[in-house]
Amino acid sequence: MKVLDELTTVFEEVFDQKGLKLTAETTANDIDGWDSMSHVTMLMAVEDHFGIEFKPYEIANLVNVGALTALVEKKLAEKG
Amino acid sequence: MKNTGFICTSQQCAAGNAEKVALRLITPDLSRIDYTFQQLEAESNRFANVLQDLGICKGEKVFIFLPKQVEVFFAFLGILKFQAIVGVLFSNFGKEAVFDRLLDSAAKVLVTKQSLYDRISEVLPNLPALEKVILTDLPEHESDRLLSYAQLVSGAGTDYTVADTDPETPSVLHYTSGSTGRPKGVLHVHGGYTHHLKTMDEVFQIEPDDIYWCTADQAWVTGVTYGIIGPWAKGITQIHFTGKFDAVDWFEILQREKVTVWYTAPTALRMLIQDEARIDGKYELPDLKRVYSVGEPLNPEILFWVRRVMKREIYDTWFQTETGGVMIANRPGLEIKPGSMGKPLPGIKAIAAGEQGEELGPEQIGSLRVKKGWSSMFRMYLNMEEQYREKFHGDFYDTGDLAKVDSDGYFWFLGRNDDVINTSGHLVGPFEVESVLLEMEEIIDVAVIGAPDDMLFEKIVAFVKLKDGVEWSKGLEVKCRIRVSKQVSPIAVPSEFVVTDKIPKNRSGKIMRRVIKAQYLGKDLGDISTMED
Repeated sequence: MKVLDELTTVFEEVFDQKGLKLTAETTANDIDGWDSMSHVTMLMAVEDHFGIEFKPYEIANLVNVGALTALVEKKLAEKG
Repeated sequence: MKNTGFICTSQQCAAGNAEKVALRLITPDLSRIDYTFQQLEAESNRFANVLQDLGICKGEKVFIFLPKQVEVFFAFLGILKFQAIVGVLFSNFGKEAVFDRLLDSAAKVLVTKQSLYDRISEVLPNLPALEKVILTDLPEHESDRLLSYAQLVSGAGTDYTVADTDPETPSVLHYTSGSTGRPKGVLHVHGGYTHHLKTMDEVFQIEPDDIYWCTADQAWVTGVTYGIIGPWAKGITQIHFTGKFDAVDWFEILQREKVTVWYTAPTALRMLIQDEARIDGKYELPDLKRVYSVGEPLNPEILFWVRRVMKREIYDTWFQTETGGVMIANRPGLEIKPGSMGKPLPGIKAIAAGEQGEELGPEQIGSLRVKKGWSSMFRMYLNMEEQYREKFHGDFYDTGDLAKVDSDGYFWFLGRNDDVINTSGHLVGPFEVESVLLEMEEIIDVAVIGAPDDMLFEKIVAFVKLKDGVEWSKGLEVKCRIRVSKQVSPIAVPSEFVVTDKIPKNRSGKIMRRVIKAQYLGKDLGDISTMED
């Protein structure tokens, strides 16, 4: 399963929206309920799902889902 | 004519403002869509006609469950013109929060959109009073119950004669959290607009050509009183931004749209402070006259930041869902004491009251109470007559806040005298969060408190006792967070979870949040004589 597909599953759960269509360009403006509060929960859920940990500086400027996908792929590669 | 919807639209058109921009909607990509008072008038009339065509009766409740979009404003004003009662639900609410409010209010109609409808659809069959659900993004009616906004309004006329409206006619129903039990429905009346106008004049000191921006969501009292009614009852142009918070976008809007009066919240300002490097020195705000703040105490650090970076004065204001409009405020003409809420408005009597209800002297801490009689005072807690009566002590309404008054008559907020948590300007009742967590199979007991936080003013901290054999893990924390977020709201999600062996309770089984909080903050536990073994 591709990272973006798995992220879609996590997002559907966190934002309680089935059938979400995530793309690399998706931002908080495109998803109901994605605000600064739910952002923290989403990142924790992503960490838990992939078994990775983000460092604060890594998540400071995540501009869209594409950036998040790239970060998850990098962390997974580091994890081996 | 005392109808709030009429005053915000028809009266403005009659006064020569028909072609004036009433609403400047800024989309997430910062595009601009303007709506004149004439368009507000026509579209709100259409929605009033829709309600009539649907057979809705005056006094019945119609709820809006939408993010910031133009239909919120059209429907809101149309509902008021029709003399139904309007409520707005925060678009991030989970299904349980929506269900509680629609059930308690016996709402007849819900205006929402497909994605939010999907979020709550499983609870809707359990709402027997709910007859119609109108979706703003459904092209055609799907059934007798699930209707298309577009189809409804396309068949509705733009003329509507607003019936004479008694000032005591119920208008807006807000839900607010209490320290125990479910949220309370706070009912206001059409006549409250006179206080809104008074505050637009005396606090905001609005002039006809002002460009005004209140950043609050329409689901909260600030977003209704000062993001719909107050500004439009004054006939001024207001900005609304449909995007999410972003420091650069916000400053771009302030500058480009020549905002003159800006009303926002300390949490938002703290987020701007965090992002200062992206904005400082990059924006000129020559048109901005004043900044106002509401929702939580304005700490001096923010005040000095606004003075330094925005080079403007910022005025703190205080009010509650129940008061319907600003009661105590700093304002031009009144010297600011940083950290103080300012002084009561002319005609408003507020006191710090002692245990017997007596007015305390300078610097003494007491319950903040306001003398009855202002027009925007709430008229009831829906279905909670006793709780409503308990809020009044003689002629005074007890706000639930603790305050002191200094020798110059300035008021200073010192906290709540109940367990309600003020997190980023939103009130959260601990009971709502505890109920949801207690339903989880891993948790046997739980207590929720508010604790001081540099960013949120108060953060929510949940103390959880796990069932035997259950281990705390990141996965379980995520599960807890998502559950609260889905059932209540992302706002209500605890920032911190503390696993504990015991939740302190008194001998009647009531959670002693005061003790938990003292323990958490490393303070003296105070009187624990009533605590169970």
